[in-house]
Amino acid sequence: MLPVKNPFGRFVIYLTLTIYVSITSLPFLWTVLQSLKNLRQANARPPLFIFKPTFESYTSLWFRTVPKDLPWLMLGFVVVNLAIIVSARAMARRDASRLAIVMLVLVSYYLLFWAIPQIVKTADFYDFFVNTVIVTVGTVIIAVSVSSLGGYALARYGGISGAMILIVALAFQSLPVMAFALPYFQLATVTGLQDSYVLLIMVLVGLHQPFALWMLRSFFMDIPQEIEEAAMVDGASRLTAFVRILIPIMWPGIVSTGLLVALGAYHEFLLVRVLTQLRWTLPVAITKYIGTVYSSINTVPYAAAVCVTVPLLILVLFFQEQLVKGLSSGAVKG
Amino acid sequence: MKRKTFIGFVAPSVILMVALLIIPLVVAIALGFQSFTYLTLNARKFVGLENYQSILLDSRFWQAVRFTFLIIVIVTPLEMIIGSIVALLLDQIPKGRRGIFVSLCLTTYVSVPIVAAYMFRGLFQSDGLGTWIIEQVTGQHLIMNEFAVKMLILAYGVWRDTPFVIIIVFAGLQSLSLEYLDAAAIDGANRLQQIRHVTIPHLAPLLMLIAMIVIMAKYQLFDAIFVLTGMNPIYHADTIMAYNWRTAMELEQLGKANAMSILTVGGLMIVLIPFLVRTWRSQTRER
Repeated sequence: MLPVKNPFGRFVIYLTLTIYVSITSLPFLWTVLQSLKNLRQANARPPLFIFKPTFESYTSLWFRTVPKDLPWLMLGFVVVNLAIIVSARAMARRDASRLAIVMLVLVSYYLLFWAIPQIVKTADFYDFFVNTVIVTVGTVIIAVSVSSLGGYALARYGGISGAMILIVALAFQSLPVMAFALPYFQLATVTGLQDSYVLLIMVLVGLHQPFALWMLRSFFMDIPQEIEEAAMVDGASRLTAFVRILIPIMWPGIVSTGLLVALGAYHEFLLVRVLTQLRWTLPVAITKYIGTVYSSINTVPYAAAVCVTVPLLILVLFFQEQLVKGLSSGAVKG
Repeated sequence: MKRKTFIGFVAPSVILMVALLIIPLVVAIALGFQSFTYLTLNARKFVGLENYQSILLDSRFWQAVRFTFLIIVIVTPLEMIIGSIVALLLDQIPKGRRGIFVSLCLTTYVSVPIVAAYMFRGLFQSDGLGTWIIEQVTGQHLIMNEFAVKMLILAYGVWRDTPFVIIIVFAGLQSLSLEYLDAAAIDGANRLQQIRHVTIPHLAPLLMLIAMIVIMAKYQLFDAIFVLTGMNPIYHADTIMAYNWRTAMELEQLGKANAMSILTVGGLMIVLIPFLVRTWRSQTRER
């Protein structure tokens, strides 16, 4: 649409957008508000908008016994996070290899998540959170590495078998998870892998890899073939050319794909519910808190909902562009 | 690229696809012909087409099918229309100010479906803001009966998935050159005519694709039903996927559940196959 010039029209546009966005974010805002109340305040009629906030629901969600010096520990947690991000950025500026940066971040977070239960008494929500991080990160790493190899080959190879692989991937990408859940369950009992990270990561990779394959292929197709050919003329093997030359060029595409795979793994409910008894990820764990009736017994589930959503908010904050790019190219090309 | 290198590069992907998608699907087909529960996992009985027969004669299955299609028919057009309008409006405002609107849309879209459904439900619980507003307006107590829960499911669908339509349509609009619209305007087309004759034809393939993605997602709707009905059968609000879940997890008729998955996959294929054929043609033409 050509730009609207008249001021009244512009006012109406802003007004409509604001109304739409407010309605869309209302459930989030209301949940945040409720999570900061105690049960009596939460049930007050008319609803309270101004009240003295309490963080009880959050502390009882995360801790078995609430540590006395919580504010300082929180501050320490934030500082450690910032330190990790700053050092990763510093490495990126010095042109350290992407792999080294990823390894640094992974190892530091591994240590951090290991250290926290040693310092404070955490509740089981913390364990579910760690489960989710392990499963999501594992899925992303495996799915993205496997499908960047595959996606690259599919972008450069002209044979009919390539097209066949792509069509099969496209077909399986859209099938309902339920069709696989029960065979996976059977498979897990046969192999004795029930309730393990390996099983969860494996099946999530299986589900999301076709999508990643399509997306990475479309990104590789945008890169001219001459780039790796030049490297190969200089004596590099195709694999070396792929790792040294193409991966750095492709990095934005890999990030976009990785983000969408991460979302898929983080969102998965049905499969995790069927395949685990105790190693729940957050979407399954949260159903334990929220109950099934249209009333609240306490305000902890509101806090749980907020805590599950915050990592995603951070993701949107940092990676908005890549997410939009990934979503739209995933839809258009895939 | 030589055939040998190609095989080396795609081998991991192909192995994963065969082991984790194709074999499980074959297993599901085989299990669909058997009768067993969690206790008799290893003592399955071959029953032929009995599972399929029992599904097709199951009135609750057909109820689930009807409700799923009701959701598709009502929610998809609403999402597409609201999403396209918001995307057109978003296209109107300067780049610097779009960020906040796009972020908020994106937040809704990336939120975990289970949690999003819970947050949405939170508005309509006994302590919810929505409940209070409805009670003030109608002067009656809001009772979560079958009708109310079904309305909530429809509203949830529109709320959660419209942002997806917005983001994709908005991205599509960026590829529309203003020159066409200028030309139309010079020829005397008013704004609605410009949208009708320039913008919509330009976006038509994209809109079709979005509609297909949205419909396929609705066809597989499960998470929201789990949260909004608590899987309580009194609401009669099972979708196909929810009833499939009920058959597997609550009724423990695993053979029948597998058969139902296969039927669902078959149903999906009706939509998918023309699309696959088209993709196949375009892929093989490039080569």
